[in-house]
Amino acid sequence: MAAKKLRRAQLSQEMCERLSRYQITTCQDFLCLSLLELMKVTGQSYYEVQKLLCKVSRACAPKMQTAYEMKLRKSVNPSSAFLSTTLHSLDRVLHGGVPCRSLTEITSPPGCGKTQFCIMLSVLATLPVSMGGLDGAVIYIDTESAFSAERLIEIAANRFPTYFDSDEKLLCMSRSIHLYRELTCCSVLKRIMSLEEEIISKKVKLIIIDSVASVVRKEFDTKLQGNLAERSNFLTRGASVLKYLAEEFSIPV
Amino acid sequence: MQREVGTLPLAPALRARLAAAGFQTAQELLDTGPCGLSKEIGISREEALEALQVVRRECHGNAARTAGGSGATRKCTALELLEEEQTQGFIITFCSALDNILGGGVQLTKITEICGAPGVGKTQLCMQLAVDVQIPECFGGVAGEAVFIDTEGSFMVDRVVDIAAACVQHCHLIAEAQQEEDHRKALETFSLENILSHIYYFRCRDYTELLAQVYLLPEFLSEHSKVRLVVIDGIAFPFRHDFEDLSLRTRLLNGLAQQLIIIANDHKSAVVLTNQMTTRIGQSQSTLVPALGESWGHAATVRLIFHWDNSQRLATLYKSPSQKESTIAYHITCHGFRDVQPPAVTHSTEGTELNPRKRPRTEEERQ
Repeated sequence: MAAKKLRRAQLSQEMCERLSRYQITTCQDFLCLSLLELMKVTGQSYYEVQKLLCKVSRACAPKMQTAYEMKLRKSVNPSSAFLSTTLHSLDRVLHGGVPCRSLTEITSPPGCGKTQFCIMLSVLATLPVSMGGLDGAVIYIDTESAFSAERLIEIAANRFPTYFDSDEKLLCMSRSIHLYRELTCCSVLKRIMSLEEEIISKKVKLIIIDSVASVVRKEFDTKLQGNLAERSNFLTRGASVLKYLAEEFSIPV
Repeated sequence: MQREVGTLPLAPALRARLAAAGFQTAQELLDTGPCGLSKEIGISREEALEALQVVRRECHGNAARTAGGSGATRKCTALELLEEEQTQGFIITFCSALDNILGGGVQLTKITEICGAPGVGKTQLCMQLAVDVQIPECFGGVAGEAVFIDTEGSFMVDRVVDIAAACVQHCHLIAEAQQEEDHRKALETFSLENILSHIYYFRCRDYTELLAQVYLLPEFLSEHSKVRLVVIDGIAFPFRHDFEDLSLRTRLLNGLAQQLIIIANDHKSAVVLTNQMTTRIGQSQSTLVPALGESWGHAATVRLIFHWDNSQRLATLYKSPSQKESTIAYHITCHGFRDVQPPAVTHSTEGTELNPRKRPRTEEERQ
């Protein structure tokens, strides 16, 4: 949205050409300037510049929805609002399960079972909707190399013996879990950025990142001066992309 | 009418031409007329007419201001302000201790900033306020609508439903106890669907969308004149990443603050912002301070800092022009933002203590 070219914001051709001479090509560049700068750059009067500003803002402003419309939309399709974890007390506390359209963070000291929980959620996501799953593929970004495919099969076979009665079903399930091993912050970020197309092509319904902290702690030493800013930069950028993916595709992350 | 041509809000090229032709004051322009102007400077008659209209609008605006007229002028006596402030409503928060230290609740026409660590209850308070602003006047509310601009995606509709249901319940109880006609009438319109349909939600993904939305807000607010609350949940989030140029960030934030002040004043609505906390690394220790830097601290009129103390949530009034600094404890229940039971009584002597650690101990002693 920010990188939207001014051409598509319905500004006139000559205005766009004039602005591009000052290296202003996207809505972001336009909105970052003060009114006086805009006047100088566009050569228009004060009132005209305000009208231009409104036009450009309308091109990138978000759409309005009332809370009521949001609630109606949710109640129309209740089953797609959560991924049930099949742990009844946890589901009760979470009001249904791991929520779609938002980020959920699982933290704990080592050895408590985070990776096991993630593996179980991957199995659950591949189940059909009638069994409480999301009937889709899973993207698993593993930074600690802790994912074990054998454990995946073990969980699936033991937890849902009636469903996974044949080897074929197990193979099919494991095929829909896409595992990516990323070992540096840079590659994790690049992977997150490239996820949008994969989600559409592979019909992904769940994204798991295990774990964010390990790769960040390896690379950024918080005792050094500049690292804190860089680290939070990386984290917030990743977080905003993940939030966008979660909301856009209505999936849990 | 002696205004200099260089100060008029015309296009810069036109101004340069006028200066080159020798025009000095606005009166000269008006005397020349469009045809004469177009011949002298070499612009078309339509352009000359447009320029003259701009000049006329400016000068009339000026004249009205110098004559002390109404509307455009922003000056009035302190007495008028006092009367206005006394009749102004507050948006209550359902936590009486917090309302007390704020002087009645969140004030209209002022910017209130809520800072806090993640998970301490900032978004909860924003959702509570978005419901509370709609309370009808006979129950002590301002009967307005709310605009919720979300940059972090933490707005949960189900939670708002819970909070709204509790609020409606509360009003029903009051109405039953007092049995007045206008209470009953107000309750007919104060229902769950009405509350939800009067919360206007915008999801801004980055700072460009946020800037665009704030530019469009005055127009939106004139169309929806009943809006009395604008919440921007997470003003820090879009500005904290992808910003190499810190001076640009400061400039954008200051511009944003100015626009919000104008919106708050012109439309008599309260503006509530939430901010994140960041760690400032000092010589030997690190402290938690509100994010976005020192210059942003001047933007908000009232600043509340939410923090934890063991497992108790505390709210500190950090900056306010009319109330003194104090700290109170609050609770978040399934009904929303509430007092800690029993409600904390803020004595004037205890209010001056900024040390949050003292508060729980004194409460225990009293119990």
